[in-house]
Amino acid sequence: MSSDYEYSDDDGDYYDDEEMIDGTQDDEEGSGDEMMDNFGDDFKVAPKGKHKSYEVEYESLSQQAVENMMQQDVDHICGIFGVDEDTASLLLRHMKWNKERLIEKYMDKPTSVLVAAGVSLPEAPPPPPPGRTHTNAATQPNSRRPTTRGTSKLLGLASGPKSAKLPASSPTATYATPKPLQRQPSKKADDAFVCQICFNDAPNLQTLSLDCEHTYCTDCWTDYVVSKVRDESEHSIRCMAEGCALVAPDRFIREILLPEPGAPILDSKKGEQNAKTWIRFQELLVRYFVACYHSLKFCPYPSCTNTVSCPSAASKSSLTTIVPTVSCGARGIGSEIQDLTQSQQFGLGLHGKEHIFCFGCPIESDHRPVICNVAKMWLKKCRDDSETANWIKSNTKECPTCQSTIEKNGGCNHMTCKKCKHEFCWVCMGPWSEHGTAWYSCNRYDEKTGVEARDAQSKSRASLERYLHYYNRWANHEQSAKLSVDLYAKTEKKMEEMQITSALTWIEVQFMKKAVEEVEKCRTTLKWTYCMAYYLGRGNEKELFEDNQRDLEKAVEDLSELLESPIEPENIPTLRQGVTNKTVYVQKRNEIVLEDTAKGFLEGRWRWNVKVEGFDDPEEQL
Amino acid sequence: MNLMEWEVGIPGKAKTPWEGGLYKLTMSFPEDYPSKPPKCKFAPPLFHPNVYPSGTVCLSILDEEKSWKPAITIKQILLGIQDLLDNPNVNDPAQSDAYTMFKNDKAAYERRVKQQARENIPK
Repeated sequence: MSSDYEYSDDDGDYYDDEEMIDGTQDDEEGSGDEMMDNFGDDFKVAPKGKHKSYEVEYESLSQQAVENMMQQDVDHICGIFGVDEDTASLLLRHMKWNKERLIEKYMDKPTSVLVAAGVSLPEAPPPPPPGRTHTNAATQPNSRRPTTRGTSKLLGLASGPKSAKLPASSPTATYATPKPLQRQPSKKADDAFVCQICFNDAPNLQTLSLDCEHTYCTDCWTDYVVSKVRDESEHSIRCMAEGCALVAPDRFIREILLPEPGAPILDSKKGEQNAKTWIRFQELLVRYFVACYHSLKFCPYPSCTNTVSCPSAASKSSLTTIVPTVSCGARGIGSEIQDLTQSQQFGLGLHGKEHIFCFGCPIESDHRPVICNVAKMWLKKCRDDSETANWIKSNTKECPTCQSTIEKNGGCNHMTCKKCKHEFCWVCMGPWSEHGTAWYSCNRYDEKTGVEARDAQSKSRASLERYLHYYNRWANHEQSAKLSVDLYAKTEKKMEEMQITSALTWIEVQFMKKAVEEVEKCRTTLKWTYCMAYYLGRGNEKELFEDNQRDLEKAVEDLSELLESPIEPENIPTLRQGVTNKTVYVQKRNEIVLEDTAKGFLEGRWRWNVKVEGFDDPEEQL
Repeated sequence: MNLMEWEVGIPGKAKTPWEGGLYKLTMSFPEDYPSKPPKCKFAPPLFHPNVYPSGTVCLSILDEEKSWKPAITIKQILLGIQDLLDNPNVNDPAQSDAYTMFKNDKAAYERRVKQQARENIPK
């Protein structure tokens, strides 16, 4: 088993051919499931320590994990302030989850913090306790209850299961606190309550209120909460009364949205919508928490609810030395697709794409090796129309008289402006009348002004060409990556074909898939190396960078070609070996590019030809 | 008759330059009223710093993401708008004409408002 590929003399110790191929064969002894997990191992290059310099340390967190983090903070605050969970949670949200600031402020002026957070009413109850303590919060009527005050009273009497959906009559009947409900003139009449929003006066109308006792019917509350959560993505839901700043605690919202066992069954459509709203509400809380922490980022993929924690990329300055490419750990698009088996997704062309994104910027893909600021600058340049202007500058001139933009598309230098009929020489821009008999050879061509004009023109053209050089290559790799869905489908066909025409088993043809994956990965790297090279300042470092880039590109193209080659049954063993070998080589080259660039950033080796935030100004403008 | 479209008239408060005028306003109630506020629009558009050129009123209680609450009554909305007439909110300008005049030349602003009041005397 020898390899006749030229890279072996490049760097002989990348891997051991024999071991690698043997590894593949060893797998046949394993059980199917184990093989699934292990077949990729054949391609692993000997690891050099746990973390490569182009990788950042990060942790993927499920929604549950983030909720646990929130719970920890809430418990902490509960312990210190002696308040219940809902209060602690509202206080933390009010302070953007900044525990230290909350503790500081709360210790200073607990009442005003409670009011500002929407936990308690501005007018404190008659005996305003200087130090609201545990017992206060738990026993006073002003404590947070997700139910009407009447209901909470009732709770104590009946000691039954807590229910927010008691008919209005019951709370009013047992209602015995100093402040009477404003809108319930009669304390015991069943039909006295009229919801001031929908004016429903049905007897046994179910009502709810926060501690402010602004009582409305449950249906109005539900519609309000659903519209706030679903239409406005709002997690801080204030009382429905005008000017009332009390915020509904989580338990209150939960009881509105989720029917308790034994509660009258809503029509199923509404129940389903409410349940969805509750899920959305929880997600909004998590999103808000994540947004408050610089070290956390929510996965940007559609309908994914995972979060990534990456403390090393939390500060802006760190983004000049690292490219925090992370993955939230989930695959596929949407939860229903995650349930598909790997081969099903493969067939759909989704092949369980990993949710890879950049922690440091909004780019939803891997933009290694180039850092966020430069990648963003490049994307902006590509999007902007500035290059159109550049083209106009390079390809057109203005009429000396009327300033119309003119593109010369052939013919002689004797120009006549279509608009103002001015006749001039395209070369020197002087009026044609002065050219006398010197037709077709402008005698002022070499004069100083002419030379200057020409210089300015060619400089502009050169910068355009330079940009297009990089852009075309960048776009080409992007296009190829987009076409990878087709390539996956084609490859899968080939793999099936191979299983039929040769004795190879399913597991043994996986090398094709692995190669396609590797090609896609490398194309992403290559794509961004062109962005990097465009902005790199001239010099030795750039040349070395471009050498690495060239080696990777060559290797990738070789492997791509091999993958596209037709399959002849007798060639399969050679093809398999070739592809496997090249895959490892490509993987290695990719690693070299990524590693070298990442090290360069850490060492501060890279110089740009434009101003980049966090770097020295470029010495010379290009 | 469409119950979701109301036509109302807001009289200018006495002892203000708005006195005497009755300003016509349409209220369009959305499907999900009262979860969402009604849209209030002066027709024809009004010369006022907080009224958009289209006639739409810019008022925090009419903004679902600001101070709108389902319990706000139509009476409260209309009283709010009436109050806004002579108490414009300079932090939230909605049209440049009235805003710049209000900021730079109060006398001219007042003259213009009075003229507008005369134009809107109910017949």
